[in-house]
Amino acid sequence: MFTLNINGSEHSVEVDADTPLLWVLRDELALTGTKFGCGLGLCGACSVLLNGKAVRSCVVPVSAVAGQAVVTIEGLSKDKSHPVQQAWIAERVPQCGYCQSGMILATVALLGDKPNPTDAEIDMGVTNICRCGTYTRVRRAIHLAARLQGNDKTVAKPDKV
Amino acid sequence: MVYITRREFVCAAATTVGGLALSLDLPAQETARLSPAAPHAPRTPSAFLQIGEDDGIIIITPAVEMGQGGHTALPMIIMEELGGSWDRLGVADAPAAAIYNNPLFGLQATVGSFSVRGWYTELRRIGAAARIMLLQAAAHTWKVSANECSVDDSLVLHVPSGRKCSFGSVARLAANMPIPQDPPLKTVAQYTVIGSHQPRVDIPSKVDGSARFGIDVSLPDMLYAAVKTSPTFGGKLKSFDDGDCRSMPAFKATIPIEDGVIVVATSYWQARKALARVRVDYDPGPLAGLDSEKVSQQLRAGFDEPGIVARNDGDVEAALASAAKRVEATYEVPYLAHACMEPMNCTARVTDEGCEVWCGTQNPQAAQAGAAKALGIPPARVKVHVQYLGGGFGRRGEADFVTQAVIAAKTTNGRPVKLIWSREEDIQHDFYRPAAAIRFRGGLDAAGKLIALECKVVSASAPSFGRPGGPPFFVEAVADANYQIPNFRVTGLNKDLGVRFGFWRSVNHSHNPFMFEGFIDELARSAGRDPYQFRRAMLQHDREGAPRQLAVLDLLAEKANWQHPPAGHAFGISAFSAFGSFIGTVVEVSVHDNVVTVHRVIQAIDCGVAVHPDNIKAQLEGGMVYGLTAVLRGEITLKNGAVTQTNFNDYPMLALLEMPKVESYIVPSTAAPGGVGEPGTGPIAPSLANAIYAATGTRVRSLPLSRNSFSYRAVRT
Repeated sequence: MFTLNINGSEHSVEVDADTPLLWVLRDELALTGTKFGCGLGLCGACSVLLNGKAVRSCVVPVSAVAGQAVVTIEGLSKDKSHPVQQAWIAERVPQCGYCQSGMILATVALLGDKPNPTDAEIDMGVTNICRCGTYTRVRRAIHLAARLQGNDKTVAKPDKV
Repeated sequence: MVYITRREFVCAAATTVGGLALSLDLPAQETARLSPAAPHAPRTPSAFLQIGEDDGIIIITPAVEMGQGGHTALPMIIMEELGGSWDRLGVADAPAAAIYNNPLFGLQATVGSFSVRGWYTELRRIGAAARIMLLQAAAHTWKVSANECSVDDSLVLHVPSGRKCSFGSVARLAANMPIPQDPPLKTVAQYTVIGSHQPRVDIPSKVDGSARFGIDVSLPDMLYAAVKTSPTFGGKLKSFDDGDCRSMPAFKATIPIEDGVIVVATSYWQARKALARVRVDYDPGPLAGLDSEKVSQQLRAGFDEPGIVARNDGDVEAALASAAKRVEATYEVPYLAHACMEPMNCTARVTDEGCEVWCGTQNPQAAQAGAAKALGIPPARVKVHVQYLGGGFGRRGEADFVTQAVIAAKTTNGRPVKLIWSREEDIQHDFYRPAAAIRFRGGLDAAGKLIALECKVVSASAPSFGRPGGPPFFVEAVADANYQIPNFRVTGLNKDLGVRFGFWRSVNHSHNPFMFEGFIDELARSAGRDPYQFRRAMLQHDREGAPRQLAVLDLLAEKANWQHPPAGHAFGISAFSAFGSFIGTVVEVSVHDNVVTVHRVIQAIDCGVAVHPDNIKAQLEGGMVYGLTAVLRGEITLKNGAVTQTNFNDYPMLALLEMPKVESYIVPSTAAPGGVGEPGTGPIAPSLANAIYAATGTRVRSLPLSRNSFSYRAVRT
């Protein structure tokens, strides 16, 4: 039995100690916004925040996170109001959307460290894979989220098309 | 903005059906029975559009949502004519039924960039018919002429009296009005929804984790399954020993299938752990000796074997013999995997009544047929619940994973089973983009004009890989070239080497343009001509497509400032027609010590009427990334009949770090829509290879680039 702190609430789960956090979130706690992509920590679809840092939950055993603060995409806001979510909507980032929970959480972690990241810092901080190729919009949305998180609350109108 | 997921839709339909107008919510089987299989059968508005007394509009889309934007673009087409309020729109996936067969090619499949171009006219008719029925209902209520009424934002207005009523208030009456068979449609100039900047309906649910993909399906009492199958193509299960699993409390069963085993357990993690303990012995089958070198040898051997003549203009041999200059080259590309971010999965429940499956599928009827076949029951007893797809790219047109889930669910006494593939299973058991090779022979006259071109296309696919009765797929983007070449012969040959092959984003346009547009570039250089001008000169004719391709080429050259690349930089260009559109790309590079730096990618498309411009640009960006990933390092290699790659460590994807600066342009057009999801994949390969030649004098004739001793970096801004 492990007691987990997920999105600010305590949950007790009865699973093997080696069960990856990913499958505890998805199958025990019905938090399916965290996605399975590779099982080896390579793609980032399963990224969650552990004490504010992005970790790849498919390679984090549940036994390693008991009692620590885990935030999943469902815990970011109740109404899509987190600046990173707002930026993602404004820049129309997602296509299939499968990798985007992880992208968003990786961005939240990056902005926690670097409130105004340079492009090079974005490159190093967000290494998640997107097979639909949304990277151009991901980068734009990260810069926008940084502005929203600061004092500039102007959400840019979508580009003229 | 209200977006209704499939599950919510079913609930909404159930609770409001008494007030629903314009339609009845027919169950899938009923709809199928009532709808003739003919692709051009009359389509009743009710199968696509439902309006509730609460003013809610539900549009049932025949195109699934895999990120390509079908759930927004198709409703935009209906709403253009309907005049409904976008804020009241809910979107639901169609069940498997013939009425949803794409008018252009007769299947209910979201493939081939067919959705918008296939449904463009039909959905406008449906929207217009529904609008007229609403107008007539309101006019009937007011005892006025329908001609005096109009619609705006889900309201019917009677202009002379100023009366108005909501769609919902007359919807029930409207349902009883005769369905107009040939309603007048707006002209392109009258469009206000088509061509506008509509937010995609699926995006909000994709930023908070609430979007439901196939892998997220959860049913009461559900079991979980993991699967492994023979590493070699055509291998069979010989025996297995699951003795080490028996002690696991979560373990339920091992189910042998033809080519492997499925393990069922009470959680997915436990199913994976149990599967790892099952010892499996395979008969490796007849392909155990196949490796990539033999694939390449067999493709190249095909150059001297007879094939199907796909195009034969003039007399190529005579023209080659008389040419002032002859150029020859062979090109080759490897197998590729789709690598959808969401591994293949399906949830199935089998009961005495039949079967239900939940999955992301590009082809609901194939999923239905696959399940029915596995159970030996009629397809009408299989209900398919389409979910969001975590990537499709052609992979999810197949139903192999559906069949596996159904086989597992057959053994669980009615308990549903969610079967999920590992990434390794996904990479190693794909339907691969076929390996292919082309041998070119070209002849130039003394003035440097291309007078003869002979192409021998050899593809590791099969004759079934194409349109029945039509030209073979695998010569596309070669035999249908828009260039004026007086003596032009294209011969195609299939070499089915036993490796599973399938439709990979852009299909043959993913690789044939690399080879064809690469060789055109070689010819231009041999002629001493500018590659852009060389192409231009061959597009000075009125045959179908040439003027539009020329316009794309000119736009690219203008945006790139083709005549004046920045100091030390070089351009590469390519353009062609694909999926009913015209597409092209200019790549700007510099190369130092074999490091290729991409400074800029400029893309342009003429896709006819641009239904959803921002999404078209997103598709061009995404298609380019899909293509660039393949160019840089994409290859599936074979050793001893098995795929060498296993996961993203050895089948790596492009990263944010490597994303070059991209500009995308849409050529204004009033022509009928062309495809946008697939065309963007193809041009990056030839344009990048041509740019590398311009910078270095080294011609890249095979992919990936990593095999050509080049490395890569991108300039972001």
